[in-house]
Amino acid sequence: MRKLTVLAFKEALVAFRDRGALAMMLVTPLALTLIMMAAFGSGSNSTPISDIPVLLLNRDTGTFGQVLTDIFFSSSVGNLVAPTLIEDESEAAARARVDADEVAALVIIPQDFSARIFPFGARAQALTGVDVMALSSDAALTPEQQAGLAQAFMESQTRSEEARTDSVIVEIYASPNWRISALVVKAIVSQGLERLNIQIAGTTNIVARQATAMLQAGQTDVDMASAMSAMSAGNAGQGTAGGAGVDLPIKLVTTSTTGRGFSWLGYYASSMAVLFLMFAVTSGGRTLLAERQRGTLPRLLISPTSALTILLGKMGGIVLTGVLQMLILWGATTLIGAYWGHPGGVLLTIVLLVTCASSVGALISAWARTPGQASAIGSAITLIGGALSGSFFVRWNLPQWVQYLSLVTPNAWGIEILSRLQAGRAATTILPWLGGMVLLTIFYYALALVGFRRQFK
Amino acid sequence: METTALVEVQSLYKRYTPNGLYAVADVSFEIHTGELFSLLGPNGAGKTTTISVISTLLQPTSGAVRVAGHDVQRNPMAVRNVIGVVPQELALYDDLTAHENLRFWGEMRGLHGAELAQEIAEKLELMELADRAKERVSTFSGGMKRRLNLAVGLLGRPKLLMLDEPTVAIDPQSRRYILDWVKKLREQGVTILYTTHYMEEAQELSDRIGIIDHGKLIALGTFDELIQLVGQHETLRLRLLQEGGGAELAAALQSLEGDRIAGIIEASATNGEVLINVTSAEATLAAVIGTATGLGLSVRTIDIREPNLEAVFLRLTGRALRD
Ligand SMILES: Nc1ncnc2c1ncn2[C@@H]1O[C@H](COP(=O)(O)OP(=O)(O)OP(=O)(O)O)[C@@H](O)[C@H]1O
Ligand SMILES: [Mg+2]
Repeated sequence: MRKLTVLAFKEALVAFRDRGALAMMLVTPLALTLIMMAAFGSGSNSTPISDIPVLLLNRDTGTFGQVLTDIFFSSSVGNLVAPTLIEDESEAAARARVDADEVAALVIIPQDFSARIFPFGARAQALTGVDVMALSSDAALTPEQQAGLAQAFMESQTRSEEARTDSVIVEIYASPNWRISALVVKAIVSQGLERLNIQIAGTTNIVARQATAMLQAGQTDVDMASAMSAMSAGNAGQGTAGGAGVDLPIKLVTTSTTGRGFSWLGYYASSMAVLFLMFAVTSGGRTLLAERQRGTLPRLLISPTSALTILLGKMGGIVLTGVLQMLILWGATTLIGAYWGHPGGVLLTIVLLVTCASSVGALISAWARTPGQASAIGSAITLIGGALSGSFFVRWNLPQWVQYLSLVTPNAWGIEILSRLQAGRAATTILPWLGGMVLLTIFYYALALVGFRRQFK
Repeated sequence: METTALVEVQSLYKRYTPNGLYAVADVSFEIHTGELFSLLGPNGAGKTTTISVISTLLQPTSGAVRVAGHDVQRNPMAVRNVIGVVPQELALYDDLTAHENLRFWGEMRGLHGAELAQEIAEKLELMELADRAKERVSTFSGGMKRRLNLAVGLLGRPKLLMLDEPTVAIDPQSRRYILDWVKKLREQGVTILYTTHYMEEAQELSDRIGIIDHGKLIALGTFDELIQLVGQHETLRLRLLQEGGGAELAAALQSLEGDRIAGIIEASATNGEVLINVTSAEATLAAVIGTATGLGLSVRTIDIREPNLEAVFLRLTGRALRD
């Protein structure tokens, strides 16, 4: 154990004595963070007043959801928003894009939206095949259709009490960094709901008229007649009031990314740190081969120290160096205003991430033959891994398959976890990621061990 | 001198690839406690390979090697605890200071605390590096690096010290320094295995010498034994004040039938010089000078050409030791 620490400290000392390595480890990532900031950054607080990017996720199987999303594309909204309709499956990705501040908000219309806000319409359609919303006042209905409408109405009246108790939730998921934009989106949704209200009120009027016609023809019994008259009486006034309409059971909920949301500085500070951690650590793996060439490895092997201790000490030293590097970068970028997240979480992530990165270094040095080969492989892996996992471009803008593919690199895990921490996400959403990273670490170390066995045979 | 064997090498074979050539083939020798044993051989002879097997870095292909009674394969840790190795190539961390290097290697040797501090101070003093102790090794001269490399091998006071060509590529001054220091260590009772391809070094330092070539031990013994092995004698070379007196002296030394000076094998005169082949210069010189004086001749210069291992190597292999 003592020898292990001595080995690890020696390793870190040697790393920090090497000026070139030090520049690579600390100065370059800081400089690049600032350059990236200048190129892309500081957009986080400026809110565009046109073309606000909004994602619309309409899960509604009925027609009202459509009415609501249509309004975003209507001329009355004009170029205020730049809406995108998205598919059902990509909700998590969509939320992530909000987290990343790529879009101002995500509007989610639930699956049973139409059925819940106007159960009568859905039921009537089911019984009669008539779309009551499209019903004109002078539509000619067959007696059967009229009877169906009446039945649907009766049912909706008896169910209405319980249905009213829990409302349909339309969620607006917005980034706190787009506060004004989120308000605009909310206003548009409210306007859409208003329009729905009017339509539903209008329809109710028409149905009432149909029912009245039915009554006059004497085609129904007394109970039905009284119900119909009650309905037409109840709605007549509201219909003419023009809009306040039926009291739709809709709750508009605005949620937001917890905590601070996205910041360019935070993103680039951490992703650059992760990238250069990878550089440092993969070239740290090279040092094992360098020691072999320089003759210090044979000298170590004939000291009364086991090969396993030497290997562990070496890897421990590389991890120690990487942790110090990350701590310094964390401190330095914090001084210039970057926020990385809850300190405890960041610290845990750094330790696990550096260990994961060191497994790649171990893997390379276990299978490469010369230090030159190892650093070439290390740089290639780091650069390609960096590009794939979002060190140069925001991760969520990359195609989905690239995002998955990049998970073979510790880099991607680092960026995922650190940006979650930065957004202040709950520990429960971060822990599975940390677990995944640990599994990757174990996998790579196992592969490295196979290679080392081969080398030390 | 004690005669217990600290190192026993029995029929050692080593090859680096399964079907390759043997780097060491059928090498057997012992190193006695307190002895300075040299392995003398040209480049690629197998010196480093032999040291690597003894120091547990390499596994023998076949044969047995024991150090202080411990088998290098079965009990490598026990062997590592009693040996110190100074590798042929420098094995130091350039980015660490001399002091930091010694501390690190001392810790690896299992030393710490006051004991380590004392050893470090002692080694720095011994190698005359104390005033540069806090400087990085990368700023050192080649000779200083070599000395530090030696100091590291001495940490933990090993029973057996193995020095692999410690004087290669070094200035004459540092070389002298190292040779003197090796002698001093030997006087202190440290058992030493020394490899070199300089025959003068082997000759000057060693109690016994093994001559190794192409992985085979071709001769083994004390210097005198090796010389005797090939019948090499010393040569006295005299110049006389009297021109032409040479032939007279040579004839006299050759023809003294009855009371011929013991140890003279042959005498000849060539262009003003008298060359006298003797078994021992020391034993015959006085008698030779006496004979000359008796003939009324005065000796202007004498030099003694000692027999050397170069000649032994040449005789055994048909090749020169140095390329
Ligand atoms: N790692 C290795 N792999 C394959 N062959 C090797 C290896 N090391 C040494 N050899 C071969 O073994 C033979 C003996 O080499 P060794 O290094 O023991 O010689 P040496 O006497 O120390 O030479 P030098 O005076 O040049 O140091 C040489 O033919 C060499 O090419
Ligand atoms: Mg050698």
